[in-house]
Amino acid sequence: MDLSQKKSPIQRINVPHFLKLSAPRQQKLFGYLILLPTLVIIFLFRFYPMMQAFYISMTDFDLISPPKFVGLYNFIDLLKDPLFLNSAKISLTYVVFAVVPTWIISLGLAVLFNRNIPFKNLIRSAIFMPVIMPAVVMALVWNFMYHQQGVVNVILGWLQISPIPWLRSSSTAIWAIILIGIWRASPYFMVIFLAGLQAIPEDFMDAAQIDGANSWQTFWYVTLPLLKPTTLLVVVMSIITAMKVFAVPLIMTHGGPANSTRVLPLFIYQTAFEFFDMGRASAMSIFLFAAVMIVTLFQIRIFSTGEYE
Amino acid sequence: MKGRNLLAMLLLVAVLITACAPAAPEEPAEPPAVAEPTTAAEPAATDAPVAEGWTFPTEDVTLEIWWHEYGPFTAYMEEMIPKYMEMHPNVTINATKVSSADLNQKLSAAIATGTGPDILDQDASYYVQYYEKGVLEPLNLEVWGAKSYEEVAGNYLPGGADAGTFDEKIYALPYQGNSMSLWISNKLFEDAGLDPVNDAPKTWEDMINICPKLKVVKDGVTVQKAFDFPYHSQRWQLQQFQPLTEQFGGELLSEDGKTAALNSPEAVEALKQWKRVTEACGDPKTTMNTPSNPNQDFIDGRLAMWITGPWATPQIAASEFVGEDFTVVGLPQVDPTNPRTMVYGWEWAVNADRPEINKQVAWDFIKFVLSSPEEWLAKAGFVQPVEGLLETETAKTFPFLSVHLKDVETASWYIRSGYVNEISLAVGAAIDSVVYDNADPQAALDAAQAEAENAMK
Repeated sequence: MDLSQKKSPIQRINVPHFLKLSAPRQQKLFGYLILLPTLVIIFLFRFYPMMQAFYISMTDFDLISPPKFVGLYNFIDLLKDPLFLNSAKISLTYVVFAVVPTWIISLGLAVLFNRNIPFKNLIRSAIFMPVIMPAVVMALVWNFMYHQQGVVNVILGWLQISPIPWLRSSSTAIWAIILIGIWRASPYFMVIFLAGLQAIPEDFMDAAQIDGANSWQTFWYVTLPLLKPTTLLVVVMSIITAMKVFAVPLIMTHGGPANSTRVLPLFIYQTAFEFFDMGRASAMSIFLFAAVMIVTLFQIRIFSTGEYE
Repeated sequence: MKGRNLLAMLLLVAVLITACAPAAPEEPAEPPAVAEPTTAAEPAATDAPVAEGWTFPTEDVTLEIWWHEYGPFTAYMEEMIPKYMEMHPNVTINATKVSSADLNQKLSAAIATGTGPDILDQDASYYVQYYEKGVLEPLNLEVWGAKSYEEVAGNYLPGGADAGTFDEKIYALPYQGNSMSLWISNKLFEDAGLDPVNDAPKTWEDMINICPKLKVVKDGVTVQKAFDFPYHSQRWQLQQFQPLTEQFGGELLSEDGKTAALNSPEAVEALKQWKRVTEACGDPKTTMNTPSNPNQDFIDGRLAMWITGPWATPQIAASEFVGEDFTVVGLPQVDPTNPRTMVYGWEWAVNADRPEINKQVAWDFIKFVLSSPEEWLAKAGFVQPVEGLLETETAKTFPFLSVHLKDVETASWYIRSGYVNEISLAVGAAIDSVVYDNADPQAALDAAQAEAENAMK
C-alpha cells in the first residue's frame, strides 16, 4: 500500500482560504497560543491589579462605599503630608544603609567562597540559612535577640558596652532593622555574585598574572569589570527588595517607636488596611512604583555606559 | 507533522475556549478559615421560646457568623450554636473564626464584596465606621420582644450599651465590656514589705510614691519594674491615655466623634503625668510584652503592678509566678472623688445587606447567646456589662469582679470614631517620642493632633 497516497483526515477539512497559513506562520501562531495561558494569568493577576491601582489612586475609596473620583487630589495631598514624607525618608535611609553594605559583604563573601577554603560547602550553607528562614520566624527570633537582656546586649556586655534598647528607642530601631536586612540579603546576593565569578574564564586571570598584575589589580581591573552584568542585577534587585521591606518592621516594631521604622510599604499597608483609605494607599504605591522605576532605569543607564568600549 | 501541529493547536484553542467560557453562577468568595458547619442534633421540638408577637420562620435559614479567635470564647460559642440549632432545626449556622488582628480587614473586604456574614463580631470602637456606611441592621425590637431601645439598654449597666448605639437606636450589643483596673502581684508587694490591699495606690501620686520600694535596678539594668504603661500596642496606649486625659478633665474627641482634641491642655497634663509615672516606676525599654502576650511582664514577675482587664484572669491565674496570688484594685485616679475609667469591649451586630429573614433570625440568635451572662463569665471569662451580674453565684466566685464592675460604672467607652486607628497611631507615636526621646509633650501632641486632623478632614 502506498502510504503517500493516504490522505490525512486533517487534509480533508475544508479550511477557508483566509485561515490557510504558511508553515512558519503556523509555528509562530502555535508559539503564541502556548504563551497565551501564561500571558492571561500575568495580565489578570499582575497588570490588571496594577491598572486598577492607578484608577483607585484617583478615587476616594474606603473599601465599603463606592469609589468617588477625585482626580489627582491624593497625589497632591500626599506631597504635603508629613507622615508620607517621613515614611519616604525612612525608606530612603533603609535603602541606602542596608543596600550598600550588602553589596560589599555579598561580594566579599563570594570572592572568599570562590577560593579553596576548608569546609567551604558547610560554611557556605550555614551562611545561606537566613535566606531560607521565613521572615516571621526571623523577626521573632531577632526580637528576642535585641531585647535588653538578649544575646546581642549580652555580647555587647562582654565588650563593656552598656545595653542598647535596640527596638525601644527611635534613634536605634531603624538601625536594628537595617542590620537584619543586611544579615538576610547578603547571603542571597553572595550566591548571585558567586555564579558571576564562576562564569569568568580562568584565561583572563592567567593573562593578568602573566602581565604581572597582583591579586588586587586582577580583582579591580579584570574580575570587577567582567562582573558588571551580575553587579547590575544585584544592584537593581537589592534596591528593589530594600524599597519593599515590610514584614520585619511590621512584626518587630509596627512602625514605632514614634514612627521611626514606618517604612513606606508599611505605611501603605496601614493606610489601606488599618485606615481603609484605599485611594491614598494606591497613590502611595504609585509613588513607590515610580521611584523604583526611575532608580532602576538610572542604574541600567549608568551600567550600560561604555559597555562596548 | 503539519497535521499534528494543527491538531495540537485546535486542542489548545478548545482548552482556552473552555477556560474562558462564562463561569458558573458566581459563588460567594471563600471566607477565611471556614470552620465545618456545626452539626445540629436530631430535630427536636420547635418550641423554643420566641418573643411574643413574633413568629419564628418555618423555612430553612442558613446563617454565617464570624468571630475573633480566642480559645475559651470559641469553645463557648461552639457549645451554644448546636443548642440553638437543636431548638430550631430549620436553622444552620456556619461559623468562621478569624484572628482579632485580621478581623477588621477581612470583614471590610467581605462586606465590600457582598460576602460578609449575617452576624458580625467586632471591637466596639470600629462599629461607628460600619454604622456610617450603612452596614449595620438596627436591633429588631419585635424579635427582641422589647418596646423600645431604652428598654433594651435598661438591662445594661449605665452606658453599657452605648458603644453600639447610634442616633438613639441600638445596632450592636456587647458580650464583653472590660474595665481596665490595676492588678497587683501580692508576692512582689510582700517582698517589698507592702500590703497589696492597704498600700495599693489610689492616685497616680500614690503610685509615684510607692514605686521606689518596688522598682529594682541592678548594675544599671532594671530587673523589676514597679509599674509600667503599655508600649507593645498603640491601641493599648490609647486605652490608658484616654482615661488619664479624662481624669484631668479633658476629652480626646468631641461628642460627635468628628473632631479630635489630642493637644488640649488636659491631654498635655496627662502626657506629662504619664512620663512622671514611667520615670518613677517603669522602664519601657525592658518590656517583653507583645500584642499576643500583653500581660507577659506581669505574669513573669518582672512587673509588680499592671493595668489590664478581667478577661486576663484565667491567663494570670494559670501562670506559674503570679498564679492566684494577685489583687485587683480600681484604676488609679488624679482625683479619687471624681473617678474616670475606660471600658472597651466586643459586640455582636447584624449585617444589613442580608435577606430579611436572615436578619430576624440573626437577632434572635444574638438574643439567645447573650441571654446567659453568668455562663459567659464562667466559660469564657467575659464580663457582660449587664445589671444583676454581680448577684449571680458565678460572679461571687470570680476574682475581684466587683472591682471590675465598679470601674465600669465610672467608665467612658474607648473612643468611637471611624479614625480610631489613625488616632491610636498618632497618640502612640506622641507617647513614644516623649518617653523614649524626651520630646516636649506639647510638641508631641501638637504633631499627633495634626496627624489626626489630616486623617479626619
